[in-house]
Amino acid sequence: MPELEFTIGTASGEFQLHVHGIAGPACDDVAKLVKKLLGNPSHDEATAEYRLRPGVRIRSLANTRAKRA
Amino acid sequence: MSKYLAYREIVFRDRQLLLDSLADLGFSNVDMGDDLPLYGYQGDRRSETAALVVRRQDVGSGSNDLGFAKSEGGYFPIISEYDKGTLLAGQFLPRLRVAYAERVVETVRKRLRGSVHRVTDGSLVKLRVRY
Repeated sequence: MPELEFTIGTASGEFQLHVHGIAGPACDDVAKLVKKLLGNPSHDEATAEYRLRPGVRIRSLANTRAKRA
Repeated sequence: MSKYLAYREIVFRDRQLLLDSLADLGFSNVDMGDDLPLYGYQGDRRSETAALVVRRQDVGSGSNDLGFAKSEGGYFPIISEYDKGTLLAGQFLPRLRVAYAERVVETVRKRLRGSVHRVTDGSLVKLRVRY
């Protein structure tokens, strides 16, 4: 079953998204929607698991803008 | 007099989600416009302007106006040094970011017609959306 795992750091407000089990174009659609609402991530990659499982794409997006001191 | 600080690195892209997030924190009365002036706690007009403003009366006793200016990437907060340190026990900006992130998750969940499962692990909140 496709799953999106959002992790929010309550102390910092940092936000991470991992996309599991979604084929390429659909994964891009989800990533596009999240980028539209959050902006471009500081880090965006297809994970090693993606390379091990052809046809299933797993992405990791992190929106971790630096906090001003 | 507390000076204003602009946090350009904290950007909220979507105006409606930002307004909803502010309401989640109890700030539902927001002025909207272009180059709205900001006023300090004594009613003194400051040089800073913003597109979204929570007026000091709605922020708290001794507070200054709280603004969000529009940039190419979205809206960034302009908050006085005093309010940054005191508003919501100094946690206003992190809590606003969390509220905004939760609104983003809810928007995605609705779009996908999915279900969400929430787990809290210390200072981390994990939200799993399945569809």
